[in-house]
Amino acid sequence: MLRYILRRLLTILPILLVMSLLTFILMQKTSGSFYDTLKLNPQISPETIERYIKLYQLDKPLLVQYFSWLTNLFHFEFGYSFFYNIPVADVIGGRLWNTFVLSLASLILTWGVAIPLGIYAALHRNKITDRLIQFTSYIALASPTFFVAMLLLYFASQSGILPLGGMHSANYDGMNIIEKFFDVLRHVAIPATALSISSIGALQRIMRGNMLEVLGQQYILTARAKGLPENRVIYSHALRNAINPLVTILGYEFAGLLSGAALLEIICSWPGLGALMLTAVQSKDIYLVMASFLLSGFLLIIGNLLADVLLARLDPRIRYEK
Amino acid sequence: MAPTPLTPKVLLVALAFLFFFLTPAHAKPSYGGSIVLTSTSDPKSFNDITAKETSTREVTSHIFEGLTTMNAVTLQVEPALAERWEVSEDGHTWTFYLRPGVKWNDGEPFTADDVVFTFNDLIYNDDIASSSRDIFTIEDKTFKVEKVDDLTVRFTLPVKFAPFLRAMSQAILPKHKLAKAVAEKKFNFTWGLDTPPSEIVGTGAFKLSSYRPGERFVLVRNPLYWKRSKEGDALPYLDRIVYLIVQNLDTAMLKFLDGEVDYIGLRGMEYPLIKPNERKGNFTVYDAGPDFGSSFVVFNQNTGVNPKTQKPFVDPVKSKWFLDINFRRAVAHAIDKNKMMEILMNGFGYPQDSDMSKSAGVFYNPNVEKYDYDLLKAKKILADAGYIDRNGDGWIEDPEEHTVEFNFSTNSGNNERVQIASIIRHDLQSLGMKVNFLSLEFNTLVTKLNSTFDWDAIVLGLTGGIEPHFGKNVWHSTGGLHMWYPMQKTPATDWEKRIDEIFIQGVQELDENKRKVLYDEFQVIVSQQLPLIYTVLNSDLYAIRNRFGNLKPTSYAGPFHNMEEIYINK
Repeated sequence: MLRYILRRLLTILPILLVMSLLTFILMQKTSGSFYDTLKLNPQISPETIERYIKLYQLDKPLLVQYFSWLTNLFHFEFGYSFFYNIPVADVIGGRLWNTFVLSLASLILTWGVAIPLGIYAALHRNKITDRLIQFTSYIALASPTFFVAMLLLYFASQSGILPLGGMHSANYDGMNIIEKFFDVLRHVAIPATALSISSIGALQRIMRGNMLEVLGQQYILTARAKGLPENRVIYSHALRNAINPLVTILGYEFAGLLSGAALLEIICSWPGLGALMLTAVQSKDIYLVMASFLLSGFLLIIGNLLADVLLARLDPRIRYEK
Repeated sequence: MAPTPLTPKVLLVALAFLFFFLTPAHAKPSYGGSIVLTSTSDPKSFNDITAKETSTREVTSHIFEGLTTMNAVTLQVEPALAERWEVSEDGHTWTFYLRPGVKWNDGEPFTADDVVFTFNDLIYNDDIASSSRDIFTIEDKTFKVEKVDDLTVRFTLPVKFAPFLRAMSQAILPKHKLAKAVAEKKFNFTWGLDTPPSEIVGTGAFKLSSYRPGERFVLVRNPLYWKRSKEGDALPYLDRIVYLIVQNLDTAMLKFLDGEVDYIGLRGMEYPLIKPNERKGNFTVYDAGPDFGSSFVVFNQNTGVNPKTQKPFVDPVKSKWFLDINFRRAVAHAIDKNKMMEILMNGFGYPQDSDMSKSAGVFYNPNVEKYDYDLLKAKKILADAGYIDRNGDGWIEDPEEHTVEFNFSTNSGNNERVQIASIIRHDLQSLGMKVNFLSLEFNTLVTKLNSTFDWDAIVLGLTGGIEPHFGKNVWHSTGGLHMWYPMQKTPATDWEKRIDEIFIQGVQELDENKRKVLYDEFQVIVSQQLPLIYTVLNSDLYAIRNRFGNLKPTSYAGPFHNMEEIYINK
């Protein structure tokens, strides 16, 4: 197992290398550049734009630029952002954590609600509660995240219970650790709920389907026939098998931790990566985009690896080596 | 008790009472309190010299000052860090006498060295990329900036430069904080967002207190600020300015209606949502007049040849139409400005007829050629010039039997422009022109305008100001933003030649009245020749909470240009 993990980790390097090269070429070769807005400013001369181009070495050949970026990468320098004039790592830094907090909260909420709900629905198949859950799930699946967020914000503004966007209260810095935790929790409530609603609908249906399939298997019949208590039948025999396919999904969710919420972050003024990256791509802030793509790529690979390893542990049929 | 007779004395007392209650309680300004504003994006840095866009200037304008400042109400230049100034007979040498006793907000004194440093070591530094350099460079020549004594600075200009005093609102930066970074050639990357707030040192009314990326930045009162109010109070009155970073306008509006935020800038479309809540929310909506800047249709009049392919940039057939003044005049008569204002702005807009905005004060010329919306007239102009439907297919053809068909673009990100373009397209179609609308990505559009020149007609807007000379890059025929035919070696037409002359004369004419005559003529020429066919401008609408005193919102500088004088009614 360890060797397998090591082998997988080794493949990360070439994948990321190719990814970065492709991103770099795409960013450079598509039309436009970060100084296009400057060109449309009547008060900025072409000489000044020349100076910007020189400053960021955009006048050098493409491959020279790429390799100088790559060499810096080995010293853990990700280059400078054109717009912020500071190292990319400093721009991304805190925002990375913020996005992670939001995604994690939504992940916990989604799984925490969807799994029990799916199991409950499966055990009460075709009863009125099950029908109700399935009906609400359809609606949840069909509601766009940004719309749900707007509704929730409107509700918050009318009721005054929750803050309208943002991540910290104004007096956050003066709070103690417990107050800080609850302050962030209050702020994360709306965006996390908006982000989770449609995934709860989807995941709940998958869980219910898996559970029903497993409950129809013969070994469940056997377990019941030999007189095991119903609780043990369901929770230690059925559930373990029903949840396996979901582990793969969890792996992908891990990869999406940093990228899934750009629009929502904008609506809820969540100080995360999403909005930053959106503008970076639009305005061709090349190194900022590269850093974020590398990060997402890295997480995708790690997420997949994690799912595979988990699966091997959970499912005795899966073995990666003799 | 008998009713009191209405003697003059009783009346007087009653009147006095009435006055007492009617006189606003905020007659005397008071100190303290915060104002909470929103910003649509993070600042990009705290470095005013390398700043490339407005979200940065939103912060730095509170922290830094120039030698002069523009009174946003009267639009006149007033002293700021310089107490007074003199200009030599020939208009080339300007001497500024700095205000004594001004301190940087870290306690260091402000001196002539800081001014000289800002110009010679920052703006004119070849290693530093800054748009300020373009303002202080005339015909590739820079100004000579010298220290006379600690409080006197002399500027020697290569030529007469009329906008000089206005340009001197350029922010001055502290030498004692930045000299090291310049010496180490690190200035381009100095004072970025990762700088501790206490390091950002200015002379302005406020100083940076904290910044939380993506969430908020807070400015606090600078107790060392030099300015006094008319009553002699040490300014500013407010303790704190809080900017919340809210990208989504709907969220910002909710925050405003909720009372969390004190101000929101509106477009006409949002007016009906906000206005009815005025009393309940205790705020007022101000209409400060038309926006600065311009919005227009431009046709490609480039007759140049692509050096790589040896083909003309514009198909000669189309070029003939676009160069034809009758063609452009007909289009001008097909711009339905009322409909645009009604549909896009809820009536809160202004028709634009001249390059200078109505809010620009002295340089705005109202007596330019105006084109009313009249499709019949437009049709007649086209028919007289030989554009008629010759084969009965519904589209008009030029005298050489080519169907009038061209591409019409704008940038896809700007919803309002896309809608303006679609209204114009509709009217041009009913004139019989076959107009193919293409919505392009902003970057692609700029590339077309700047380097490939392969476009036919575009709807676009530019930022503007009150100083006509700062539009030189657009109007002088050598300019890179002379969009209809950029970077000409010699002016292609007589009227472009005349505009070139006006811009060269205008910048050297120090007599404001004589300058106005020149720029008035320029605006008339533009309205007759229609290189840009103007559309409509938005009104600047500001919704501001009623608890503030001394508010003087203007279109030029927004609602809070006099932040240091604004106070909270007690």
